[in-house]
Amino acid sequence: MIKSVMVMNTQGKPRLAKFYDFQPVEKQQELIRSVFGVLCGRADNVSNFVEADSIFGPGTRLVYKHFATLYFVFIFDSSENELAMLDLIQVFVETLDKCFKNVCELDIVYNYSKLHTILDEIIFGGQVLETSSIEVIKAVEEISKLESASNAIALVSKSVSGWRSR
Amino acid sequence: MALSGMRGLSVFISDIRNCPNKEQERLRVDKELGNIRTRFKNEKGLSPYEKKKYVWKMLYIYMLGYDVDFGHMEAVSLISAPKYPEKQVGYIVTSCLLNENHDFLRLAINTVRNDIIGRNETFQCLALTMVGNIGGREFAESLAPDVQKLIISSSCRPLVRKKAALCLLRLYRKNPDVVNVDGWADRMAQLLDERDLGVLTSSMSLLVALVSNNHEAYWSCLPKCDVPQEYTYYGIPSPWLQVKTMRALQYFPTVEDPNTRRSLFEVLQRILMGTDVVKNVNKNNASHAVLFEALALVMHLDAEKEMMSQCIALLGKFIAVREPNIRYLGLENMTRMLMVTDVHDIIKRHQAQIITSLKDPDISIRRRALDLLYGMCDVSNAKDIVEELLQYLSTADFAMREELSLKAAILAEKFAPDLSWYVDVILQLIDKAGDFVSDDIWFRVVQFVTNNEDLQPYAAAKAREYLDKPAIHETMVKVSAYLLGEYSHLLARRPGCSPKEIFSIIHEKLPTVSMSTVAILLSTYAKILMHTQPADPELQNQIWAIFNKYESCIEVEIQQRAVEYFALSRKGAALMDILAEMPKFPERQSSLIKKAEDVEVDTAEQSAIKLRAQQQQTSTALVVADQSSANGTSPVNQLGLVKVPSMSSSVIYSSKWDFDQSRSSTSTSSPSPSPDLLGDLLGPLAIEGPPVAGESEQNVVSGLEGVAAVDAAAIVPVTVQTNAVEPIGNIAERFHALCLKDSGVLYEDPYVQIGIKAEWRGHHGRLVLFLGNKNTSPLFSVQALILPPSHLKMELSLVPETIPPRAQVQCPLEVMNLRPSRDVAVLDFSYKFNTNMVNVKLRLPAVLNKFLQPITVSAEEFFPQWRSLSGPPLKLQEVVRGVRPMPLLEMANLFNSCHLIVCPGLDPNPNNLVASTTFYSESTRAMLCLTRIETDPADRTQLRMTVASGDPTLTFELKEFIKEQLVSIPIAPRPPAPVPPTPSVAQPVPPAAPSNDPGAMLAGLL
Repeated sequence: MIKSVMVMNTQGKPRLAKFYDFQPVEKQQELIRSVFGVLCGRADNVSNFVEADSIFGPGTRLVYKHFATLYFVFIFDSSENELAMLDLIQVFVETLDKCFKNVCELDIVYNYSKLHTILDEIIFGGQVLETSSIEVIKAVEEISKLESASNAIALVSKSVSGWRSR
Repeated sequence: MALSGMRGLSVFISDIRNCPNKEQERLRVDKELGNIRTRFKNEKGLSPYEKKKYVWKMLYIYMLGYDVDFGHMEAVSLISAPKYPEKQVGYIVTSCLLNENHDFLRLAINTVRNDIIGRNETFQCLALTMVGNIGGREFAESLAPDVQKLIISSSCRPLVRKKAALCLLRLYRKNPDVVNVDGWADRMAQLLDERDLGVLTSSMSLLVALVSNNHEAYWSCLPKCDVPQEYTYYGIPSPWLQVKTMRALQYFPTVEDPNTRRSLFEVLQRILMGTDVVKNVNKNNASHAVLFEALALVMHLDAEKEMMSQCIALLGKFIAVREPNIRYLGLENMTRMLMVTDVHDIIKRHQAQIITSLKDPDISIRRRALDLLYGMCDVSNAKDIVEELLQYLSTADFAMREELSLKAAILAEKFAPDLSWYVDVILQLIDKAGDFVSDDIWFRVVQFVTNNEDLQPYAAAKAREYLDKPAIHETMVKVSAYLLGEYSHLLARRPGCSPKEIFSIIHEKLPTVSMSTVAILLSTYAKILMHTQPADPELQNQIWAIFNKYESCIEVEIQQRAVEYFALSRKGAALMDILAEMPKFPERQSSLIKKAEDVEVDTAEQSAIKLRAQQQQTSTALVVADQSSANGTSPVNQLGLVKVPSMSSSVIYSSKWDFDQSRSSTSTSSPSPSPDLLGDLLGPLAIEGPPVAGESEQNVVSGLEGVAAVDAAAIVPVTVQTNAVEPIGNIAERFHALCLKDSGVLYEDPYVQIGIKAEWRGHHGRLVLFLGNKNTSPLFSVQALILPPSHLKMELSLVPETIPPRAQVQCPLEVMNLRPSRDVAVLDFSYKFNTNMVNVKLRLPAVLNKFLQPITVSAEEFFPQWRSLSGPPLKLQEVVRGVRPMPLLEMANLFNSCHLIVCPGLDPNPNNLVASTTFYSESTRAMLCLTRIETDPADRTQLRMTVASGDPTLTFELKEFIKEQLVSIPIAPRPPAPVPPTPSVAQPVPPAAPSNDPGAMLAGLL
């Protein structure tokens, strides 16, 4: 099971933090800080695996990928395959890339809600839901349409009622 | 693509980004939170868009690390909104901010259910996602059938069905009963025929979870585990699904059918041999994800040796490739392989490459290499490996030094080809990484030197050499001072080793060391003085002057030593008897190795940090604990020299010990210590310095207490008695410790270790027994039977008949509590080692308090309940006498550790305690239990206890249970000996009063 997904920048600022088993807010921050503490000391040409036992308890594994100014971090238990998790990070990032056309940190900062929607279509309750970024994008687009459609309806109905009362 | 732009949110985020410091950020956040709070208060004026915007802001603030303690109700109420955007926000935020036990969630169950059974697929998705993220037990009970319908519904889109499958997985984790439906296994098999990749992936995850718990029901799913080719990721067909499928196969027992086996191996062979390292990183990752999973499956299937060696050859290739991830996993899987099968010899061929990995630029890889080296070390390569570790120690990063030195010390001890090498290694270790060498390590080397006469001159000479170095670590001062104090007279003829020279070189270090070392130095001086015959007046005066000086030392320990040594050394010949060479230590298992193994129960990968924590916990009890185990375990041929430390597990009694043993077990009431036993008891003290009258007396008393406890335990039927193999540690103590925690060691002897890890949920429990073989040869005829009491339903999974060398097997044990009772389940465990048949009966810690779940109640809830339960049989009161006196705080802790939660402030009297809990069993379901303890500050040995619950048996059993806890506390950290100081040391201490005696209590319990 995936325990947590974190996206943080190379200064340690969290950009997305999702915990699949509940953690109180102070604990979340502490975890984010300790993960960053480990990651920031790592060179570029080393493996994507980090021992996380001391941060998350025995048996947990941590896989991360470093893109430009961002770290993408997945934390999970021994029931998952490490390299498969690495693939999943890649799927996540490729999906973001397609959604935002060459994704950069700012996209992620300002489209915080979008990021949640995308992640929810990839990971569900700590389990992998979808591994094909095409499928993910389809689902996300559908949701975006719904969002804007019902906003439009709200607008229309408002104006119609305004017109009637006039 | 259209983005769900929210201008307000963007503005807020960029404001936060523009904050120059944390203080400004906090101000901005506080302002925003205040704003949101007021807007929420007059909710009517909020448009859906605004609500959505605010709730997203809350979530953003939450991610930044600020507690958002309001608006939860608003978030939850959005769920029932009729329009999509509001509903969406409601669901997303609820699942981020609330945890599964939050009260508000209960309010939403009906709405959620309506969304799930409704026709709107987008609503279904939202509801499923939230339940999948935070759904708890109540959700499981009320929603499972609906979710199941969605999974198999043919009218639903795959988008919904895949979410429903994972949602069911969550509900199953919360309540395993949700899949106990007729025909669910068949439907599961049908699901695997599904062609939609998303649904198939999710179903496979569900299957993995189901079979990992109960594979029997899902055999029909086995042949369906194959992978469609529609989706490819970097040219590999659905790597993710391939991995999950192979993972699922690992939860089934090894496939026996030869045809299936053959075709399975063909596939695996193709994966193993058909994968090459290519340039594209992502393709590499994907293909190797599949490959490593295939490797794991091969290990699980117990393939023929030929295939295993193929695998290792492959791993050998991997650990030398450029791609760091593959190197990492190569090393990790080699370590894993060591644990399952006997492939030591093949792995050894790659030793050079593994040693190179110890210098890898990546610390993750270096750690894996260290683990592997540690695992593959044996007598044949110990010298190479340990020397390599030592060399690496000086350049290793600090984060690894502690682990490194611990591992080097353990390996040196376990596999030393000769003892002088062992001494060399430990001294080098102290020299290079003194800060990371725990006291246990140097205590151990002292024990070896003391027990092996041949070694003494060598060790003393080595110690002398190190003293010549300009700056040495304090631990080195301690160990060399100790060794030279004992054995420097053996070197007297060598240059630079006259008593005077030895004294002065040691004395040089005195100004730089701490008080604990000064104590050792004083003892050394006394010993040097004793060995200098005829006396050298000049040396004598020098040393006496030092003793004189320390007579007024502020440290009592040192003051006492100085006074006593001074007085003793004036007595001349009498000094010889008192300060004579230390007797040999009784052979005992290395505390280092023991600790390392204890940790292995919890996790195969032991980190030094955990070891350290454990050492700190036990170090205070070290001396006493060792003594009781010295008597509890078989003392190995005490008179003979122990040449090879790893032989210590063989059980050889010298005839004299045989006699002592039989005598002490027949006359349990008054164990009379023989002079040798006394020597043993004094022995370990000497490590910290020679026995000092006052101190040793006290220790002997507590030591004897330990002996009494062990002996008393031996009369209880449920312990080892006739076996040739003696358990390590006190079985009763281990049991009691496990009653209060959920993982630890249940039993250990020289061959086998049984660890336990338990999880409790309501009236269900799941224990996993870890049966570990500690030896290099297999254990045969392993048998584990559960003798459950009538109130527990217990089911143990299959226990293999043979445990391979150095392997650990896990046997899950399902427990169900039918009704309240204090009876204890027993594990009847037996195995054969060589020709010895060993059988032990062990109590299992599936005791009453495991089925308690703490619950805090408020005064409003407590008092009506308390009043409504009015008197026997539902409310029982008793005055308990003979309570172990303890401060109220300690009692509160004891209650809390038994899952009875103390509710402060309910009882106005500060001498009283009120505690509440919920008891779970099938007959009572969840039942609230209330307890009140009234203590008497004037007499802490008595108290009045009132217990109330809705079930008469439960009330009675709980009352008795609490009484047991209060009257006799398990002796894990042994309470200070309540025996008044005995005038004569040799006087046997009578066993403690029956009510305090764990053995007697134990007998009464059974």
